[in-house]
Amino acid sequence: MSPRTQAHQSPAPLRLEGLSRREFLEAAGFTLSIAAITGCGRAPVVTALPFAEQPEGVVPGRTLTYASTCPGCAAGCGLLVGVRDGRPLKMEGMPEHPLSRGGLCAVGQALPLGLYDSQRLAEPQQGGQAANWRQVDAQITKRLADIANSGQAVRLVTPTVTSPSLQAAIDRFLARFKDARHVLFDPVSSSAILDAHAKTHAARILPHYRFDAARLIVSFGADFLGTWISPVEFTAAWQTHRAPTEAQPTMSRHVQFEGRLSLTGAKADQRYRLAPDEYGLVLSHLLAKLATRAGESEPQADLAESPIAAAVLDQLAEELWNARGASLVVCDSQEVATQVLVNALNHRLGNYGQTLDLARPSRQRQGDDANVLALVEELRGGKIGALLVAGVDLTHNLPGREALARAIGNLPLSISFAERLDDFASLAQFVCPDHHPLESWSDAEPVQGLVSLSQPTLQPLGHTRSLLESLSRWSGRQEHAYDIVRATWRERVLPRSESTDFRPFWDQAVHDGFVQLDAGPAPTVSEFRGDAVELTTGRPVDQDLVLILYSKVGLTDSRHAHNPWLQELPDPITKVTWDNYVCVSPRLAGELGLTDGDLVRVDSGDPATGLELPVLVQPGQHDRVVAIALGYGVRGTDRFANIGPSWLEARPTLAPGELVGKNAAGLIALRDGGLHYVRGAIQLTETGARHELASTQLHHSLHIPANVAPHGAEVRDVVQQTTLAAYVRNPQAGAPESHHFSATQLWPEDHTPSGHHWGLVIDLNKCTGCSACVIACQSENNVPVVGKDEVRRQREMHWIRLDRYYSGDGDDVDVLQQPMLCQHCDNAPCETVCPVLATVHSPEGLNEQAYNRCVGTRYCANNCPYKVRRFNWFKYQRDDARQNLALNPDVTVRTRGVMEKCSLCVQRIEAGKIAARQRGEPIADGAILTACQQSCPAQAIVFGDRNDPDSRVSQALADPRRYRVLEEFNFRPAVAYSRVVRNRDKAPPPAGGGAPSTGGAAHG
Amino acid sequence: MQQRVITIVLLIGLGFGLVTLGSGMAAWRLPDNERGYAPQQPIDYSHRLHAGELGIDCQFCHTGAGQSRHAGIPSSDVCMKCHKFVTSSFAVLQDESKQADAEKRKPQPIISAELRKLYDSLGLDQQLNRRPDVQPQSIPWVRVHNLPDHVYFDHRAHVVVGVTCQRCHGPVESMERVRQFETLSMGWCVNCHRETTAQGIDGKPVNAGTSCAVCHY
Repeated sequence: MSPRTQAHQSPAPLRLEGLSRREFLEAAGFTLSIAAITGCGRAPVVTALPFAEQPEGVVPGRTLTYASTCPGCAAGCGLLVGVRDGRPLKMEGMPEHPLSRGGLCAVGQALPLGLYDSQRLAEPQQGGQAANWRQVDAQITKRLADIANSGQAVRLVTPTVTSPSLQAAIDRFLARFKDARHVLFDPVSSSAILDAHAKTHAARILPHYRFDAARLIVSFGADFLGTWISPVEFTAAWQTHRAPTEAQPTMSRHVQFEGRLSLTGAKADQRYRLAPDEYGLVLSHLLAKLATRAGESEPQADLAESPIAAAVLDQLAEELWNARGASLVVCDSQEVATQVLVNALNHRLGNYGQTLDLARPSRQRQGDDANVLALVEELRGGKIGALLVAGVDLTHNLPGREALARAIGNLPLSISFAERLDDFASLAQFVCPDHHPLESWSDAEPVQGLVSLSQPTLQPLGHTRSLLESLSRWSGRQEHAYDIVRATWRERVLPRSESTDFRPFWDQAVHDGFVQLDAGPAPTVSEFRGDAVELTTGRPVDQDLVLILYSKVGLTDSRHAHNPWLQELPDPITKVTWDNYVCVSPRLAGELGLTDGDLVRVDSGDPATGLELPVLVQPGQHDRVVAIALGYGVRGTDRFANIGPSWLEARPTLAPGELVGKNAAGLIALRDGGLHYVRGAIQLTETGARHELASTQLHHSLHIPANVAPHGAEVRDVVQQTTLAAYVRNPQAGAPESHHFSATQLWPEDHTPSGHHWGLVIDLNKCTGCSACVIACQSENNVPVVGKDEVRRQREMHWIRLDRYYSGDGDDVDVLQQPMLCQHCDNAPCETVCPVLATVHSPEGLNEQAYNRCVGTRYCANNCPYKVRRFNWFKYQRDDARQNLALNPDVTVRTRGVMEKCSLCVQRIEAGKIAARQRGEPIADGAILTACQQSCPAQAIVFGDRNDPDSRVSQALADPRRYRVLEEFNFRPAVAYSRVVRNRDKAPPPAGGGAPSTGGAAHG
Repeated sequence: MQQRVITIVLLIGLGFGLVTLGSGMAAWRLPDNERGYAPQQPIDYSHRLHAGELGIDCQFCHTGAGQSRHAGIPSSDVCMKCHKFVTSSFAVLQDESKQADAEKRKPQPIISAELRKLYDSLGLDQQLNRRPDVQPQSIPWVRVHNLPDHVYFDHRAHVVVGVTCQRCHGPVESMERVRQFETLSMGWCVNCHRETTAQGIDGKPVNAGTSCAVCHY
């Protein structure tokens, strides 16, 4: 065929020759109707598989609760594991637990995602290859026997071990070697506190801090509400004196000295900026003043001028003196000399035995840095035969990684027990993966005399083996972890109790999750040794930059970095997700010409430790301080490169092979027998490059001067605070004067709730901003993870967010946290604009969202003044079938194009109503707990029936501190807040930065 | 004459067509209306025999109905409460027993084909002893009543206030093979909720909510 004819014929098929318009429509109609008829077919066949043999007590669809111990860190909080149809789904705090009192932090709440992680090791590995247990056991047993015979050194590294069973197993295992040592390595160590007590009290112990007994708390850098030692326990104790009432207008006082802005500092009544290398000097001044106050006339050392004004310290010393025996001084310094000063202060104030318990010390931090440093030396010297590491990533969390890696490569035997292929596991010859803690038996004794149990809540998902069993097998026994724990309890725990019969004692312990033992071997503590105290007299000469390495709320150390819930949890202060960064003060940033997102190089003199990280300008930080979070740059986090939805404009969040954040552990200083997270002589160099941080809140509030503000955009009192002095005079102090509030209603009173009227009150004086509620809600309500790129576009999906407000100038700021969730307004602006009635009001005062009715116009989100509605821009990643096991079957998984928001846990309300109906009783106050309320370590959230005048929520609503956000608009929210009261004289600067833009207006 | 024949033939044809079509029409339904769905089950289990003739209470087997969201399908070991002894229909067993008496021998154990499937699921041999080599397997029953994923129906809520099983499931005690009796559509649910709130159940007042979040969350 010639090209010409081709050209002539080619359009022919397009013309549908011979088919008239009418015929075309007929054909199309026929096709359509056939398609419609086929659509009427039966739904696909669904099978239902009952048990062949139903285990006793298991009812499909009903949640069984097991008492356990939270394995997230060494704090050992009480845990209730909700198991539904064989799957642990929801972690809750145990209200009966004496330490955590029902609270559970974000890390504990996020456990299910770690359990259902398809990247957990499912079988042992040898030389990087999958192996089986028989092979691995045979080889390890043989090599261990060789090492035992040749007398080579064996080192077993773990973080703090609070488990009596594990400690016994380790002791048994190491007993057969001549040169064996158990090295306790805490990635975030508090070794200096223990060393200081060794000096002053001749016992290397950590006191049990009793924040509930303290009326005056002075903290030097210790973030005890956020990350320090046992934050949930400390928050639960601290909150007991934080709610002044009209009848009793008193509260504890909390003074914080710190270099960076921590969660605890943000909550303090009075906060002073102090570089961490000056803690010693200020403590010495306080000690000297108290000595004078006590009437001692001993010659005082010649102290350099205090960086904190003398008048402030005089007043503080006076306050401390007046609160003798009911005050508490804590410090996070890793300088033993500084911690000795803290001990001297607490001793001088008579706090030992009152707010610091040495008779029943805490076992939550046992890390011994001197041993860790010795281990590093031994490794470098090639003096070790076998290195076993469990529960901690040794090489990730220590500086000098390359040298360590080379040394480990030359070891005769190296074994890792990691759940995932972490940095040390990738270097080790053998990886013998431990169970996830929810899969195995264990126990814990976080504070002497309180022993708790962990029980398995499902069959192990992979061919993993408990650490207890591995050690037992290599010690020549073949015991099951259950028998090991039981034997320990029979031999070591039962004799310390009043019971004699083991069986009922054990059964009760398994049921309750913990036992409290009256008698415990109290440690031998000497009288306070004053001669150990040496005042810090000088100021640091060079005024160089000081680096603080800290751990983040929610992420703690590297072991939770695999958890996308925790990675996407906004930092409570900086509001940044998915990254670590260099925090600098606004003044320092101004001097160096840096803005948020500028990449800088951090140098400490050693070129090998240099690090490039983006800058974050942090108000409230000391001008000489630079702060970087640890726990980032973890091996395996490159898995999050494609976590966001794949769409046209999706940007990769990580370059190929890149990890989430950078590992700052290289900057940890090893000196004076300790791991130091503070180091001086830091240099920042601008690189010129930029890195966009994913923040959920605008870094700078938008301030519109009043004279140019359009009507309606004036500064509003979104969040309110007052001082205790003002509160005593007028309990309603802090309420804005210019409320144009009117009872006149635009709408008829046509939905007055007659039955229940649900309401929620959050006490902002107790709320610390720890963000446990965010993860609790995410776990309960199947909230998706959207990834860093989508967070940058402000499309995060959390149903509850913590709005952080700064007030005051850029140097000394007051920080306020206000959890913001759907306010369930009675006059809801979202309801009136929904064209399809997908969001409507229930007779019980709930603002309901019917997902299957929603067509995604997003009018409701536009009209919501609180910006709490979340739109599903995509069908967020649910590809990982293993991870989907963490989904709550009681809540719909929303699809693309649907609006969603807080439902006040309506599934729990419905379940509570049904349970009450079954008992034939009215719903008891407190029987229904929302997920955020259940886990709140500060017990700041109260939920209940507003129509019941005796309910706790009605009482909270009657409190004069109560206010509602944007009350003047008459939305009549069902959610209310209790005003912040700071225990100080000076009135706080105007809070709330006004325009809702500070509260993240651009959401949705 | 010829025309009349043609007319009659056409009319008969039309009538026949209408009858055929009409009977077919009865089975037509709107999308998602699964009323009348009666799938073949892996075992020919008769609710008529068990619930009707023998009068076994629904919750004897569907124990979850009063305790959980799901009424549940009984596990195989629930069946064994009776079928440990009843291995075939009574008539067959009686015949064998008579024959054995006549032949002066012990009666042979007889297991019906359908019950064999039950015993297989539990890994039982001819004498109903456990076979060590066989793992018990669930019986893959076909779900008859399916609700869309965005609907949360709680059996317990209905059972505790006294809604009878038949109110939604129809006369199951007369069904040889279970079929869906009602549409289980939202309109049908809401109607019942309205009526019961107005009328109560057995003279007792009931508050059956009709707001969205009663079922959708």
